Amino acid sequence: MPEDIIGLIRENVIQGRITKDDEGMDEGMVGKPGVTELVEQALASDLPIQDIVTKGLSGGMEVVGQKFEAGEYFIPDMLASAEAVGVAMEILQPRLARSGIKTKGTIIVATVKDDLHDIGKNIVSILLRGAGYAVKDLGHNIDTQVIVDAVREERPQFLGLSALLTSTMARMADVIQILEENGLRDQVKIIVGGAPVSEEFAKSIGADGYGADGFQAVAVVEALASGTEN
Amino acid sequence: MTRKGLDGGSFKVLTEESISKVHRTAMQVIEEVGFEVQSDTALELFAGAGAIVDREKHLVRLNESKVKELVDVAPSEIRLCGQDEAHDVILGGRRVYAGTGGTALYVYNPTANQTRLASMEDLRCIAGLVDKLDNIHLFMLPTYPNELPVEQVDVNRFFAGLDNTTKHVMGGVYTLEGVKNVIRMAEIVAGSAQALRQRPLISMIACIISPLRIDKTYGDLLVTIARNGIPVACPAEPLCGATSPVTLAGNLVVQTVDSLMGVMLTQITNPGTPVILGSVATSTDLRNLRYLAGSIEMGLLNAAGAQMAQFYQLPFYATGGMTDSKTLDAQSGYESALTALLCALSGANFIHDAAGLMEFAMTVCYEKYVIDNEMLGMVMRAVDGIKVDDDTLAFDLIKQVGPGGNFVAARHTRRFMRGEHYQPTLSDRDSREDWEAGGRKTTWERAAEKVKELLANRRYSLPDATRQQVFAEIEDIVD
Ligand code: B12
Repeated sequence: MPEDIIGLIRENVIQGRITKDDEGMDEGMVGKPGVTELVEQALASDLPIQDIVTKGLSGGMEVVGQKFEAGEYFIPDMLASAEAVGVAMEILQPRLARSGIKTKGTIIVATVKDDLHDIGKNIVSILLRGAGYAVKDLGHNIDTQVIVDAVREERPQFLGLSALLTSTMARMADVIQILEENGLRDQVKIIVGGAPVSEEFAKSIGADGYGADGFQAVAVVEALASGTEN
Repeated sequence: MTRKGLDGGSFKVLTEESISKVHRTAMQVIEEVGFEVQSDTALELFAGAGAIVDREKHLVRLNESKVKELVDVAPSEIRLCGQDEAHDVILGGRRVYAGTGGTALYVYNPTANQTRLASMEDLRCIAGLVDKLDNIHLFMLPTYPNELPVEQVDVNRFFAGLDNTTKHVMGGVYTLEGVKNVIRMAEIVAGSAQALRQRPLISMIACIISPLRIDKTYGDLLVTIARNGIPVACPAEPLCGATSPVTLAGNLVVQTVDSLMGVMLTQITNPGTPVILGSVATSTDLRNLRYLAGSIEMGLLNAAGAQMAQFYQLPFYATGGMTDSKTLDAQSGYESALTALLCALSGANFIHDAAGLMEFAMTVCYEKYVIDNEMLGMVMRAVDGIKVDDDTLAFDLIKQVGPGGNFVAARHTRRFMRGEHYQPTLSDRDSREDWEAGGRKTTWERAAEKVKELLANRRYSLPDATRQQVFAEIEDIVD
C-alpha cells in the first residue's frame, strides 16, 4: 500500500515543517520529509493537484486555524504553517494555471509614509497568506507614490494600508485620492487598519473596509472578495 | 511626607554573572552584527568618532573599547528641573522616581464605561491633576491632541505641560521644526537660553527602532536635541517574539544594544549631553503579537534594564505601572502595582508610564492617575525598606514596656509612626459599617470624587508676562 502522501502533506502543514530539516511541533520530526519534499513526491507520483491543494494544504491550514482558535497555537505556529503553504504553492504555481485552479487573488500591503510601525501589518500579511492570498508586502514608511505605482503595475485585487500614528493616518486618504486621480481607484479594493484607525475613519476616507485585527482583516477581504460587503 | 529619589536596588533579578553575560553579548552584537543607521547625519557622526561604517548598507560597527569610551563620556547623573525647584529630580545611581507617560489616543471615563478621543483640554487637565499628586514626581505628556495638525502638536503639547504644572515636563516629539519651537518656548519660560541649559525644565524622547536600527527622522531628531543640549531619553522598545528574541535574556541584549547606540550618538554629537538610557521593553500576546503593557515579564525586563544601566553608570528610563485592562478593576490594580514595584525595587531611576495608562498604552484615565498615585506611594514606601538601628530596633523601649504591656502611649511610637508607616490617601480601611454608611464606594468611585475636587481647585498657570511672550514669539499656540 503506497504511503498517504496527501495525508502527510496535511500533517506537515499542521506541524509547520517546510523541509526535512525543520523541527516542527512534535518531538523527533527532524529528518522526515517536510512539505517541500512531500509536494515534490506527490507531483512525481502524479497525484491530482486539486487534492494536494485542497486536501493537503488547505486541509492542514483548516486544522491550524482550529488549533489557533482553541488557544493551542500561537502566531509563530501559524506563521510556520502559512510559510509551508506558501512554499508549496510556489512549487505548484506553474501547474496550477494549466489545471485551471483559481487562486484567491493578490493583495499589496504597506505601512504609510513616516510610519515605522510594522508588526501589525506583518501579522495581517501572515494571516492573509495563511488564508491563501498572494501577499506582496511593500514594507513600512512607504511613499504614497510608491504605493500608487505598485497598484498600477501589479494590478492587485486588494490594497491593505496600515498606520499607527494619528499624524500618519491622513496618508491613507492621500493614497486613495491619488489612486482616484490616476483612475486606478476602481480596480482595487482598499482596506485599512492600525491602532488609531476606526470604522468611521475608514468610511470617511472612502476605504472599502476596515479591520480591527488580523482576523478581521481576513474576514473583510473574504467578504469583499465574495461581494457580501456593502 | 512624600518619598522620592530614595535608593532602590534591594531586588536583583540578574546576578553579577548574568549582567556581565548580557553585556558581553551586547558588545558582540555591536561589533559583529552591527547597527543600521538611516540618518546620514548620524552615520557621519559615527564615522567621525571612529566607528567602522558601511555607507552603502548604513551599517555601523564598534568594538568594545570604543563603546566604553563613548558611553563613559555620558554623565552618570542628570538633573531634570521643575519650574518649582522642590520638584527637581536627579536621575542616576539607584535613585527611584515615578512619572506619567504617553502618548495615549483615548480617555476612559469609568462612570460611562466608555472611551473618547483625547484633546488639548485633556493635556491641560491631566497636567493640572498630576501637579497635585505628590507621588507622581515627573510629568510626561500623556496624550495626543487629536484636533491639531501635526505641525502644531509639539509646541502645544509642551505648552500645556509648562502652563499647568510646575513639575518637570518630558515628552515625545514629532517634527524637527516642533523640537526647535519647543526649545525656544522653554527658553522663554526659563528666562534665557542659558537658564534653560542650567535648569532644564523640559526633556525629550527619541525612540530607537528595535531591533538594531536608528531611523532617519528619529536619528535626525536625536542629533538635533543633543546639539541643543536638552536632556533626552533614547529608549528602545523590543517586543519579545516580535522585534526581539522571545527569550527575556535575548530581549535584554537587543534593548541594551539599541539604547546604548542612542546614548553613544548623543555623546558623539555633543559630549556630555544629558542622556538617559531607556527601556520600553515588553512581551507580546502570543495569540496576536499585541504589545502588552501589564505583563509580569515587562516588570522583569525593566527591572533588569535598571541593573544594566547601573552597570554602565547611566541614568535609566524604565517602563512600568500600566495595565492592559479596559476598566479600573482588579487586573488594572495588580498589573500596575506589580510592574511598578519590580522596577522600583531594582532601582530604576525614572519609571515612566507609571500613572494613568491602560489598554496597551492606548488610553489614559483621570481616576487611574489618582489610584496610581496611591499605588506609587506604597511602592516608594517599599523602596524605603526597613531601617535597622538601635532606635528602630527599640530594645530599651521593649525592656521598658515589658511583657503584656502596650506601645500606644510611647513617645517612640509618636516619633516614628509617620515615617515608618505609609498613610493612604485613597485606600479603604474603614469598618464595614462605616464603609456601608459612606455609600459602599469602590476605589475608582472614591478616585472620581478626588479628581473632581482636584480639578476644581486647579490650577497653576505661567506668569502672565511669560504667557504673553510665548504667545508673541511662538506661532500656533492654542489657548
Ligand atoms: C511597538 C510600538 C512602537 C515600536 C514599533 C516597532 C515596529 N517594528 O513596528 C517603536 C518603538 C518603533 C515605536 C515608535 C514610535 N511610536 Co509607537 N507604538 C508601539 C505600540 C506599543 C505597539 C504597536 C504594535 O506593534 N502593536 C501590536 C500589533 C500586533 O498591533 P497593531 O499594530 O495594532 O496591528 C493590529 C491591528 O491594528 C490591525 N491592523 C494593523 N494594520 C492593519 C492594516 C490593515 C489593512 C488592516 C485591515 C488591519 C490592520 O491588525 C493588526 C494585527 O492584529 C503602540 C501602542 C499600541 N498598543 O498599539 C505604540 C504607539 C502606536 N506608538 C506611539 C508613538 C507616539 C510612537 C513614537 C512617536 C514615539 C516617540 N515619541 O518616539 C514613535 C514613532 C515612530 C514612527 N515614526 O512611526 C503612540 C501613537 C500615539 C498617536 N496618537 O499617534 C502609540 C499608540 C503608543 C503610545 N500610547 O504612546 N512604537
